[in-house]
Amino acid sequence: MYIKVPVQEGRHGKSLIALFQGAVVLVFVILLGAFWHFQVGQHTKFLQMAENNHQRRLSLRAPRGVVFDRHDRVLVENRHSLNISLVRERVADLSQTLARLSEVVAVSESELRRVLERQQDEPLYRPVVLVPDATLSQVSAVSARSLELPGVVVEQSPARYYPTEHLAAHSFGYVGEVTGAQLSLEAFDDMQSGDIVGQAGLEQIYNQLLMGVDGSRHVVVNSQGREIETIGEVKPLEGSSLKLTIDYDLQRAAEDAFRLAGFDGAAVVLDPQNGEVLSLVSLPAYDPNAFATGINRDDWSRLNNNQLNPLQNRALRGRYSPGSIFKIAMAVAALEEGVIEPDFKVACRGGGTFYGRFFRCHTTHGTVTLDEALEKSCNTYFYTLGEKLDVDQIHKWSTALGLGQISGIDLPHEVQGLVPSRAWKQKEVGERWYPGETISVSIGQGQVSVTPISLAVMMATVANEGRRVVPRLLHSYNNGSGWKLVESNEDPSHVELAPTTLDAVKRGLWMVVNQEGTGRRGRITGRDVIGKTGTSQVISLSGREAAEGSTRDLRDHGWFVFAAPRENPKIAGVVFGEHAEHGYLTAPIARHVVETFFAKREGRDLPMLPMPSKVPSVSPVLTNIGGGE
Amino acid sequence: MFERRLYANIDGKLLSAVVALSLIGLVMIFSTTYDAATEQVGSQFYRQLGALLIGLVALAASLTIDYRTIVNRSLLIYGGLAACLLYTLWFGVEQGGAKRWIGLGVVNFQPSEFARLVVALVLAFIFAKDHRGSRRSSDWLIGIVIVGLPVFLIARQPDLGTAAILLPVCIVIMLFAGLKLRVLAVLSVVAILAAPVVWAYGMEDYQKTRIASFLDPEQDPRGAGYQQIQARITVGSGGLTGRGFLQGTQSQYDFLPVAHNDFIFSVLAEEHGFIGVLFTLGLYLFVVLRSLEAARLSKDRMGQYLVAGVLAGFTFQVIYNVTMSAGLAPVKGLPLPLMSYGGSSVIATLLGFGLILNVRMRRFTN
Repeated sequence: MYIKVPVQEGRHGKSLIALFQGAVVLVFVILLGAFWHFQVGQHTKFLQMAENNHQRRLSLRAPRGVVFDRHDRVLVENRHSLNISLVRERVADLSQTLARLSEVVAVSESELRRVLERQQDEPLYRPVVLVPDATLSQVSAVSARSLELPGVVVEQSPARYYPTEHLAAHSFGYVGEVTGAQLSLEAFDDMQSGDIVGQAGLEQIYNQLLMGVDGSRHVVVNSQGREIETIGEVKPLEGSSLKLTIDYDLQRAAEDAFRLAGFDGAAVVLDPQNGEVLSLVSLPAYDPNAFATGINRDDWSRLNNNQLNPLQNRALRGRYSPGSIFKIAMAVAALEEGVIEPDFKVACRGGGTFYGRFFRCHTTHGTVTLDEALEKSCNTYFYTLGEKLDVDQIHKWSTALGLGQISGIDLPHEVQGLVPSRAWKQKEVGERWYPGETISVSIGQGQVSVTPISLAVMMATVANEGRRVVPRLLHSYNNGSGWKLVESNEDPSHVELAPTTLDAVKRGLWMVVNQEGTGRRGRITGRDVIGKTGTSQVISLSGREAAEGSTRDLRDHGWFVFAAPRENPKIAGVVFGEHAEHGYLTAPIARHVVETFFAKREGRDLPMLPMPSKVPSVSPVLTNIGGGE
Repeated sequence: MFERRLYANIDGKLLSAVVALSLIGLVMIFSTTYDAATEQVGSQFYRQLGALLIGLVALAASLTIDYRTIVNRSLLIYGGLAACLLYTLWFGVEQGGAKRWIGLGVVNFQPSEFARLVVALVLAFIFAKDHRGSRRSSDWLIGIVIVGLPVFLIARQPDLGTAAILLPVCIVIMLFAGLKLRVLAVLSVVAILAAPVVWAYGMEDYQKTRIASFLDPEQDPRGAGYQQIQARITVGSGGLTGRGFLQGTQSQYDFLPVAHNDFIFSVLAEEHGFIGVLFTLGLYLFVVLRSLEAARLSKDRMGQYLVAGVLAGFTFQVIYNVTMSAGLAPVKGLPLPLMSYGGSSVIATLLGFGLILNVRMRRFTN
């Protein structure tokens, strides 16, 4: 088969060459256009992409501020913790790496996966912490097998450390990872998931001061994610240091005394002049170290479901009936309202009939004056005052002394107690007030409920001639440029009390401790301690019979409020003994605190308690039903 | 045999441009293989320098022989090439899943890089000799078989890119030899229509993946589309004036794969910017146009066909590689002639320009 093909003329070759010339020039021009488009037109975008490729900003966690007691003793600090983290962009086979890591660090694969999933949205290059606060054996196991674990790195990060463990745990609170709900709040704007923030106590309320500013390291990495060099570093800025009003020795003294006494409870010890909290106790306590790098679920549920409620700060959140402590407010109300004079006498015959019903006293006191009635805690005397006073008058003076009020201490979630009034009953119960109810109120029972801290405020106010202070824990803070005193944002208010009132009440409270009263166990020679005991009924007599056979702890709570010395007091406070049964059993705790206070103040050796070697602070697991919670 | 006055006719401008491009390539290889930590340049730089010197010597030596003598021996050379390609298939050195090299101790020799020269020589020989008025269809058939054998052998290595380069060599020489553009157009249409069939029945999955990722590189940024995205970032981040010698982060931190080889032009674009691209592409364009001049000036068809064939392979490969360097073409292992790292490629390309210079310098001789 022949196909005729014309012979190529020289001209044909030349025109082909011209065609190729044109075509090549055209293609080159198009190519140049494309390069112009990428290199000049979209330069900014691609430059940014190139930067993102090889530059990483790795955050350096700022240590939280150190917390000192009032004498510069370290109470909360930071330690170095080692985290085992995963850089996902360096991992080829995630499942295999997790399986291998699970073997090496002895953490279940599902747990690792769960932790990883929580941080799913983080950029691939950022190390995500899989094993926080790893043990040294875990770290060395990972280091030894680093070749089999590409992308697994050990990072150092500061972790909160509470060297005193359970001590003053409720004041410090604890830290934890910022929650999703918190992140949506304005105050948490500049935070990201995984950040550690205060979740309770001072850690929470002064979080902004304590947090500091995270630093960052700007590094160049190659395509495998390996760091080539550091091109910039912003050092993390440690959070502000806090100096608390707490005195470590008083805190220790109070907690030791509770331990010796063998019950749980709460205590608040104040400087009545300025409201500085010298000691704040709530027992049983928890160890805030458990939260430092994220508490594990088992520990959390153990704490959270414990019937003794160790996470609750009883001093601020426990509501109990004040019992006989309320007689102080009654005395003030009666004197200030002018329904009695200090020499008003009542004859106690083991009780009395009011509004047609007989109300008991513990014993037959005979004829007593106000100071004697306080000293002996004579119910009949105060029933009589209750008959003479309107409930709104009682409410007015209790409120003035701080009962049923928020103290305003710098700790979160404080609750309010209750002193009933006509308006309250109308609003809450929808009924008018019956005068007979005032009789129960007059000995601190019925609907009256108070928090320990509000009783401490009341005691400090009475001891301090009506000057009512706002308790506070933060003395000063230092953000690196020197200590700044914290100005109390609420000035102490003044309750106008007649000198005769104060004189009569304080004399009675002095007799409670120093004469034949119920608080003799709180007496310290030469210290002129004044005080008052109280018993808080957990359940009424009839209720007690009904609850027969119950496993709940139905023993009464004991109270002791105190101040010293009688004139110009330096220390005041409250001790609440949970199921202590009698108020007088809590007085020794106060005495030990007051003795320690003066010994320290005067530079003497601190008193020692005959402590048993190690007494667990947790009493039998029984429900606390006395609390108002 | 070698006449002194021939020297005067060597195209110094073309030769200078070719050497300049080789040196630019060498500088870029220095940049991509330089290790800042040890302050040492990679061995590839010295290997490339050696290959360049060998290539220039070979080029000079080839000029002493009349291209007609070489063309007339082309069947012999073709036989040698076929033998080398067969040897490679059976006993070649395997790297990255492909057998493309013949081991020669310290260096490897890649015969497929020389295939386009040999094919151009043989086709010039076949179509230029004994030319009487009309082409027989058997001429075309012979041409196709001549090209088909090395295409098949190279494609089996596998090295589709290098095999495909032989097609423009063949087509361009055939166009010069009388193949009508109309026929080529029809064949192209047929090829386009056949593409879906080839896609469905004739392609391996990895090849499909490559094409798919070219069409949508974002789809699989860590996989097949990765290189393409990185190429674009590399080029785009260069800007107008570039990021500076040794300052390109994409190439220096290995985000761009085989930077010293297939993506050398991206590195140039990154470190020397659009200015560098303009200058280098200008040089390439000059080389192509100047070589076309040699084809136009050739005193016989043999020379014209030879120049056209050699140049077709060169031009096609330059255009493809530069397009790919900007992330605008599927990634194929096709080096940029003169600039990319690769001894066989450098030597074969320089020998090709030896042939082009040869044709031009002998335009007045008989």
